[in-house]
Amino acid sequence: MREGSDGALAVEVDGVVKNFGRLRALDGVQLGVRHGEVFGLLGPNGSGKTTLIRCLVGLVEPDAGTVTVLGRRLPDLGVLSRVGYMTQAAALYPDLSVLENLRFFAAISGGDRHVNEALEFVELVDRRDSVVATLSGGMRTRASLACAIVHRPQLLLLDEPTVGIDPQLRAQLWDRFRQMTASGTTIIVSSHVMDEAARCDRLGLILFGRLLAEGSVADLLAMAGTDRLEDAFLKLSQVA
Amino acid sequence: MNAHRVFAITRRLLQQFRRDRRTLGLLFGAPIIILGLLYYLFRGSGPSVALGVVDLDQGPLGAAVASRLEASSGVDTTRLDADAAAAQLKDGRLAGYVVLPADFSASAVRDGVIRPQIHLEGSEPGKSAGVVQAVTEALGGAAASELSTSAIKAPQVRPDVSYLYGGPSLDTLDYFGGAFVGLVVFFLVFVITCVSFLRERSQGTLERLMASPLRRVEIVVGYMLGFTLLALAQAGEVIVFALAVLKIHNAGNVLLIFGIETLLALAAVNLGIFLSMFARTEFQAVQFIPLVIAPQLLLSGIVFPVSSEPGWMQAISNVLPLTYAANGLHDVMLKGADLGWGAIQLDIGVVLAFCVLAVIAAAATLRRRVA
Repeated sequence: MREGSDGALAVEVDGVVKNFGRLRALDGVQLGVRHGEVFGLLGPNGSGKTTLIRCLVGLVEPDAGTVTVLGRRLPDLGVLSRVGYMTQAAALYPDLSVLENLRFFAAISGGDRHVNEALEFVELVDRRDSVVATLSGGMRTRASLACAIVHRPQLLLLDEPTVGIDPQLRAQLWDRFRQMTASGTTIIVSSHVMDEAARCDRLGLILFGRLLAEGSVADLLAMAGTDRLEDAFLKLSQVA
Repeated sequence: MNAHRVFAITRRLLQQFRRDRRTLGLLFGAPIIILGLLYYLFRGSGPSVALGVVDLDQGPLGAAVASRLEASSGVDTTRLDADAAAAQLKDGRLAGYVVLPADFSASAVRDGVIRPQIHLEGSEPGKSAGVVQAVTEALGGAAASELSTSAIKAPQVRPDVSYLYGGPSLDTLDYFGGAFVGLVVFFLVFVITCVSFLRERSQGTLERLMASPLRRVEIVVGYMLGFTLLALAQAGEVIVFALAVLKIHNAGNVLLIFGIETLLALAAVNLGIFLSMFARTEFQAVQFIPLVIAPQLLLSGIVFPVSSEPGWMQAISNVLPLTYAANGLHDVMLKGADLGWGAIQLDIGVVLAFCVLAVIAAAATLRRRVA
C-alpha cells in the first residue's frame, strides 16, 4: 500500500497499537495518507476511528508503532501548529463570541492568523460578534471549523464533522473541504455515513481497531465485487 | 397527583445515587468527620494555657497565689524570673505571666489593695481571657484564706494589665478576621478554578488545547495568571473592607498581607486545577468543598488556635498550607510581623513550596485526563 517516497505521505501510521485497559482500541494499524487528498476513515461507532485521529494529534500515545505527521515523528508539539483538529462536538467557548473564540484558537495554534479569512470561509462574518451559546447547531459547526483552520493548517483532521447536520450545510462543508484540498491541504475525515464516504478520494475501512482495506472507492468496490459501497463495507467486514 | 409517577421520580433519584458512590460517601462520611473534628476542638483535652508566675512578694500572699495557680486546671503554670518570663512571652511560649511585686502582701494589709501585674501576649483573646480568669480566681481564693484571720476587710484587686500585642479592645473578630480574609480568597478561587477547568474539559475545548502546540505547563500557568489576577482584585477588596470598614485590628504592613494573599490565591488556583482532574461533573467538583475546605477551616488555626488542639490534630494542622498562611496573616496583623521574622519566612516558604508542588501536580495530571 506504500506509494511513492515517505516524503509524499502527509500522514504515515505504522503498526500502531493502543489498549485502554483490556480493550484493544487500535490493533496494528497501517496507513498512509497522501498530500492534498481527502482521506476517509470509515467504520462503525467504536471501531477506533476517533482513537486513530487522536493519535495523529498526540492526544493518544500509542502503546506500539509509530505515527509520522507532515514528516515529523510524534510526539512533536511543533508540528501541531501545522495541523487543524475539529472534534466531534463543536468544542468552543460558549460564553465567548465567534470572533473571540477564533482569536483565541489563532493565538494558541502558533501559526499564522487569518481570522477574517476564516470567518469569510465559513460565512459567519455577520455573526462574528454573536456569543456562541446563541448560535444554531449548524452555525456552531461552522464556527468550530473556522477555529480549526484559522492558522491555515497543512493537515486538517475532522472527526465526524457532518453528524447531525442538514444536507445543505453538509454540501456546503464539502465544497469548503474541496476548496482547501485544491490549495494543497490534506484532509482526514472520519465518518460512518456511506454517501459521505463516496466523496473521499480514498478510504480506509476500520473495524475492531484494524484497517481492513485501503483504497479509492472504485478499488474497494472492485475488491468486494459489489457496486454499492455499503455492500462492500459489509462484505469486507465479514472477510475479517 | 399520581402516586405512581411521583414514586417513579423518587426511585430514579435513589437509583442514581446508588451508582454515585462518591456522593454517598460524602453524604454519610463528611458530617461524621466534621462533627468529629468539632468534638475534639471543643471538648478534646488540648494543652492548657501556659502561664508564668514571677513571685517577688516578701509576704505570704504571693506564695499562696502562685501555688493556687499551679494547682489550677485552667492554666499550666511555671515559676520564672522576670527576664525569662518576658522572653518566653515574646517567643510565644507563654500566653501571659503575672508579676506579684515585692510589696504585694504589704500593700494588701496596709491599703487593702492588691496590685498584680498581668502581662498578656494578647494575640489570642481566648487565651488572654483564660489567663485573667485564672489569676483572678487565684487572687480571690488566696486573699480569702491568707487574710481572713487578720481582721482586715477583703482587699480590692487592681491588676495592671499590659499587652505585648493588640490590646484590651482586641476581640474575636480581630483574632480570626485576618486569617478569614485568607480563607475567603482561598475558598472562592479554589471553587471557581476547579469548576471552570472542569467546564473546559466537559465542553471539549481542553481536547482542542491539548491538540495545539500549547505545552501543559503553559495551560496551567495561563490559568494561574488569569485567576490570580481575579483573586488579587478580590483580595484587595476584602482587605480594604476588613480594615477600613470593619476596622479589624492590623499592626502590620498591608502590602505584606496582600503578598500572603497572593501566594494563597496561587496555591488555590493550582489545587483547583489539580483536583478538577478527579471530578467528572461540576457536581463532583462542588463536593470537594466539604473535603478540602471544611477541614482546613477547622484545623488551620483560623477559628481555633492550632496550639489549643490535641497533639494528633496539630500534626494534621501542620501539613495544611492554609495553616501557614493563616499563621502568617495572624503574625502580620496582630503582632506587626515583617519579612525579617523567621516565622513569616517559614510561613511564606511553606505556602510557596505548596504552590510549586501544586503547579507540578496539575501539569502532570493534565495529559492523562483529557478524555
